[in-house]
Order: sequence, then structure tokens, then C-alpha cells
Amino acid sequence: MADKQLDVTAAASAFQKQWFGDLRRRVFDDRQPYALVQADVPFELFDLVDIPAVSNQWWAATIAAKRQAPAFLDAMAADGLHEDLCRYCSLGYAATRYRDVQEPPWGGLPTPRLLCARLTCDCIHRVFSLWAAAFGAELFEIDHPGASHLPPNWWELGRHRWRELVEPHRLAFVVSTLERLVERLEAISGRRLDRDALRRRLELVNQQEEIFDAVRQLIATAPESPVRMTEQITNVMATQWVRGTDWALAHARSFHDEVKRRVDAGVAACPGERARLMWVGAGLWHDTEFYTAFESSHRATFVWSMYLAFGPDGYIRYGLDDPMAALASRTASFNEYLHNPPWASEWIVQQARAHRINGALVLRPGRMKPAGTGRLFIERALEEAGIPALAIEADVVDPRAWDPAAARAAVRSFLDTRVMS
Amino acid sequence: MRTTTAIVELTEAFEETFARLGHDADRDRSVVVTSWPSVPIEIIRAAGLRPVVARGSATPTPAGDPQLESDIFPSRLRHLVEAALSGRLSHVARIVVPRTSDTDYKCFLYLREFARTGVGQTMAPIVLFDLLQSGGPDVGAYNVARTRALVDELASASGAVPSDDTLRRAVTNANVARATARCLIALRRGVPRITGTEVFPLLGAFWQMPPEHYAPLAEQAANEIARRPPLAGPRVLLTGAPVDGSTLHAAIESHGAIVVAEVSPWGSGVAGNDVAADDDVIAALTNKYRAESIGARMSVAAMQGVTERGLDGIDAVVVSLPPEDSVFGWDYPVLREALAVRRIPHVCVRSDPYQPLTQLDHSQLEALVAAAARAQEARHG
Repeated sequence: MADKQLDVTAAASAFQKQWFGDLRRRVFDDRQPYALVQADVPFELFDLVDIPAVSNQWWAATIAAKRQAPAFLDAMAADGLHEDLCRYCSLGYAATRYRDVQEPPWGGLPTPRLLCARLTCDCIHRVFSLWAAAFGAELFEIDHPGASHLPPNWWELGRHRWRELVEPHRLAFVVSTLERLVERLEAISGRRLDRDALRRRLELVNQQEEIFDAVRQLIATAPESPVRMTEQITNVMATQWVRGTDWALAHARSFHDEVKRRVDAGVAACPGERARLMWVGAGLWHDTEFYTAFESSHRATFVWSMYLAFGPDGYIRYGLDDPMAALASRTASFNEYLHNPPWASEWIVQQARAHRINGALVLRPGRMKPAGTGRLFIERALEEAGIPALAIEADVVDPRAWDPAAARAAVRSFLDTRVMS
Repeated sequence: MRTTTAIVELTEAFEETFARLGHDADRDRSVVVTSWPSVPIEIIRAAGLRPVVARGSATPTPAGDPQLESDIFPSRLRHLVEAALSGRLSHVARIVVPRTSDTDYKCFLYLREFARTGVGQTMAPIVLFDLLQSGGPDVGAYNVARTRALVDELASASGAVPSDDTLRRAVTNANVARATARCLIALRRGVPRITGTEVFPLLGAFWQMPPEHYAPLAEQAANEIARRPPLAGPRVLLTGAPVDGSTLHAAIESHGAIVVAEVSPWGSGVAGNDVAADDDVIAALTNKYRAESIGARMSVAAMQGVTERGLDGIDAVVVSLPPEDSVFGWDYPVLREALAVRRIPHVCVRSDPYQPLTQLDHSQLEALVAAAARAQEARHG
């Protein structure tokens, strides 16, 4: 693991570990309910009725980062689940179902009261049904109505004109499903959702994302990037999982202030920066050193990933007279923003230009079929914009087929022949 | 002689209908192409149009390949994109992509983008039929509204707004065709009189032919087949990723087994229940296709129900999990346990069903059929 350059990064990591410890204590000692959810469900609804929510993707990334994925994935394969099935969304299930092969990080997930997932990829219903059965817990599904109308520049429309971004029938469907979710959460927690509190929470989320927007702007415009991509992710995601809370806002401000101080002082993540790279796709959680591997050899640094950029562009919703509709408008189209034509490729190119990107590495995630779609559109759009793109074939949580040396050699060659030539 | 013609006609309709698109612009103008048999054909016909369902095949897809990520899109979608990009769908009335799977949805978005950016030849308007298959209480009303939107869209394509009576007639005709398909299905079960390889196209033709043509032909075919001698050999259920062709049937049957059922809307799942044509026809059609459309978005419970019903009288099971599978493999451990309880042997086949099976797959099939034959002999003498 590369050295942390920002003080706030250690604080973010410590917060997450502490948060998880508190969760286990609450569940085991106080017998309080918690929920296990996909990253794209509205966490705000859970928190406001005092049901903590754990992100499946965060948990999978944690298992992978602690190099525990292979044993769980081997156990899954030995049980007859073939190797071409998606591992990102199912690694957490494997750590529950096959926990006899090793103890998961930090003692593992306690039994949730509820699992909740949006039915984006086809496998989600399957994985979460199996997981719910393994826990003996309830599953709440949010179906994903398909979009037929995808107007240009979604990242601009989303802030003020979010009703235009989602077709009315899709928006109404997601609102109605979220209302049902609220009913279940209220029944579980015994607490009513305060609609005014929801509005205030979304206002705070807006404030938090505005801070991230300012951080993004600092990174985009500073002569040299002040913060490594990996540290952006740690700080942003620790905050996003509890977005709109006091800690989240305070941490977002601390993150911003430290980045600003570095910019003002002319401190760079990679002094003498010669190439600015973007990473398109989910993080390579089992090999995060990859993202700093080209600093000493090429002065090439990863400047951009979706994790920071998606906060302001995907989450900010102004005009909160109907907070549930605003929340639904954010929830309805996550996959379209991040993976599908035309939205994903338009956004990635716009971001690449804004960040003065010299080269893009585009994850080719193999088994993660839905995340794998749209990749060719993105690569073509980048190349047409004059930004060289390199596809990196990797599973984000499964290192078993990953050859770190070969991947690094491919990137070095890409830098030599296409980015810095 | 007459019934032999029926079998030939049905087989040809199954094999050739999609492949023929692009050869006759006038004929194509009344066609609605869909990516899977989960768009209510009754509605398409009531709007004065003709459904044609895309199918996979072993033929190459040179126009589509550079545009599609490998190992994600099944053969049928690769061929749909191929047909669209190469201009074979330029004259059809609409391309309707149902929400049968996430890859169907992505295919819809891709086709839109190809059309928007001018990749490939001119293609017909592309429509998403967003029929959700999850179980929430909000889904029913959403689906009915989507079906009504589809009716409007097809009416605008044809200029013919279907009345309730027209819709009911289309439903009644399709129900008659379903009844004859059930006769064919009955001739496979118990003591089979036709191989899976031969009967699969006869069933699948249901989706590609007008029901008033299909029904008499299927009836004639059933009458002929009923006079055939029974077929020996272990009876196999083909499950896993639903097939849309009979190549895998042929591979299994080359080892001496008979495929008597498959979990596929093109085969054993073709008929399902009749659609009630009395009250709200649109709602009845919507519910039918939501509940019975076999595919990646069908719920685990519903899929298990379909498989369970297919296990009656079965000696062995073949589970097809092709390279692009991201869904049906998750169902395998539960299926394996169910088969163990029933003492039904099985194998998983990982090959692409449109390519020759690997030697390993053939060896596994051979061993499976031998084991099933021994068990069958022990049971029945």
C-alpha cells in the first residue's frame, strides 16, 4: 500500500473501522436492526429511521483489500457456482455462505434484519435471494425500469431539472417503490420517517456534494494533481456511505481544506507530474498499489475516477419540495449514468477534458457483465476526443487471474507509445 | 404426405423467418422484430403487424462484433445487432426489445445509439417494452401502462388502432395455436414419439407464424407423430440458460437419449396458460407475459417452479450454462440438491450452444446417458 499523503485519509479509514465496530456492537449487544444494501439504494431512508445500512460493494472491497477473496471464491466455485458469474456483488455472499473457510474481516457481517437491492443486473435478484436465505433475512427489491429517453448532458440536467432526466412513468414507479420501502423500514424500526427531516438531509447531501465539487475543481485546475486517486476514493466513499450526516459534512470539509492547502502550497501527489490518467470503472480493490505504480517510472498519476466525480454530478438535487421524488430521480438511473450509451461516454469525455487527462485506462471487468457493457462506446468516445484509451482486463475483487506485472508492463508500454510519445 | 409438408413448413418457419428479413422490403414493412418471445404477439397481430423473433445461430456476425463486447451478449442479440447494422432491418415497422434480460436492455440502448450516431445502415425505430418481472405490488400497474404504450406505438406504426374486439380475436387465435402446441408437447412426454431435435422447431414456429396458419399445421404434425412408434432411450430435461435452437438437443440425442422437455419459451414453455379474453385483455396479456416469460428476469421461485414441473418422468438433466451466462448458474446449487433428492443424474454443459460441443462435454453427456439408461432399465425392465 502506498503511503498516505493526506491526514484526512487516516481519519476516514479509522472512521469506517470504528463505524463497523459500532454496528456489530449495536447488532450483537443491543439487538438493533441493520440493513445490508447495494451501493445504489438511498441510504438516507435507512439512516433517518435509525437503521444503519452496510454497502455490499464496500464490504466486497474490504474483503478484497484484505486479500481474503480467493479463499471465498474458491469455495464458491467448489460449490458449483461457475467461474464466469459476477464476483463483485457476490463476494459478500460468499463470505457469509462459506465463512467456515476463513473468518471474514473484522469478525464478519452480523445477520441483517433486511437486505435491499435494486434489480439492475440480472444476477442481483439471484445473489440477494441466496444471501437472504443464507442469513434467514428479509429481502426488499427495487426494480429498475428501463430508460427510453436519455437527453444530453445529464450531469447538468440532474441538478435543477431532474424531473426532465427521468421519464414520468419511471419516476412515479421508483417513488412508489421507495414509499413501500419506507413502510417496511418504519415497521422494522418502529420509527416514522419525518419528511421534513428527509428534505433537510437531502439539503445536507447537496452541501456535501458541493464541497466535493469544489475538491474536484481543485484537482482539475491545479497545475499538478494535489491528491492521489486512491486517497480521493477513501475519503469520498467513507463519506458517501453516511452522506448528509454531521460527520460526513465535517469530513468533506476537512478533505477539501487539506486539498486546498496542498494546492495553495504547490504540493503535488506526484511532483513533476508528466501524465494525468483517468480510471474508468470500479476500483481494483485487490491491487490498489496499481494506481501509484507509474509515478516514479513515468511521473504518471491517476487524477480521476468516478468516485469523486459522481458525487456532485449524480447526487445533487436542487428543488426539494418533493424530496422523495428528488431521491427517486437520483436512484432511477445510476447504471445509465455510469455504464451505458450515450450517457456514460458523454460524461467520461467531458470529465476527461475538464481534468486535462492524457490517457484513460478503461476497466474491462469480464464477469461483471453489466459493468462490462458500454465499454466500447467509452473507449471510442475517448479516442475520438483525442484521449488515448487502454482496456485493462481485470476482476475488481478477484485477483486469481490478475497478473500485476503484466498489467503494469502493458500500462508502461501504453504510456511510452501513446500517452507520452 | 400432407402431414410431412406440415412438419417441413413449421420447421422452415422456425428456422428461416428471421434470416429472411431484408430480402423483401414490401414484406418487411409489416414486420415487428423482437429480441425474445416475451412481447405479446397478440398485440402485434391486432395492430395489423407480423411478429418475427430474432434467433441466434452459428453464422458469423462481422458487422456486430466490433460493436459488441465479447462474452456478454447471447447469440440472438448479436444476430439482432448484425441484422440492424447490415441494413436487414431498414424496412421493418419497429424493432421492439423487451426487458427480458439486462443484456436485452443494453442491446436496446446500443441500437438507439447506433441509430443516433449513424453507425451501420438505417434502421427502423427502436422501442423498449419495459415489462418488469419482479414481484412488487407496483409492478402490475406499471406493466399494464407499458403494454398500453406498446399498443399505441404499434398502432402508430401500422395506422390501425386495435379495438378490444380485434385484440380478443388475436387472443382467441393465439389460444387455439397454443392448444395445438400442447398436443405436440404431449407427444414428447411419457413415451416420447418424437425427438427433441425434431419437435423443438415445430413448437418454436408458434412465435414466427400467424396462429391461424400454425394451428392446422401443428395439428397435422401432431396427428402424424402420434402414429409413430415410441422412442427408446433415457428422457432428458434441458435446463439452465434457455435455448432458442436445437443444436444442443442434437448433441444430447447423438448419445442415445431423447430430450423430452426444455426450460425455454421456444420449446416446452411455448404454450403456457391460455390468455383470458373476457375482461381487460391488455391486463390479461400483461400478466401472462410477466408471469410466464422464461428468461433472465424470471424470478428464482418461478424458474424453480418451471423446472420442477419439467422433472416429471425425467431420467436425466442437462444444464446449459454457456460462456455468457451471468444468471442461471446461480440457480445450479439448488437444482443440484433437488436432483439429488430425486436421484436424477445431471451434467452441466458450458459450451456455446451454437458451436460444436467440446470433447469434455460430449464425454460427460455420454456418461450421463449411460448412467440414465442403466437407471431407466432398472426401473422399467
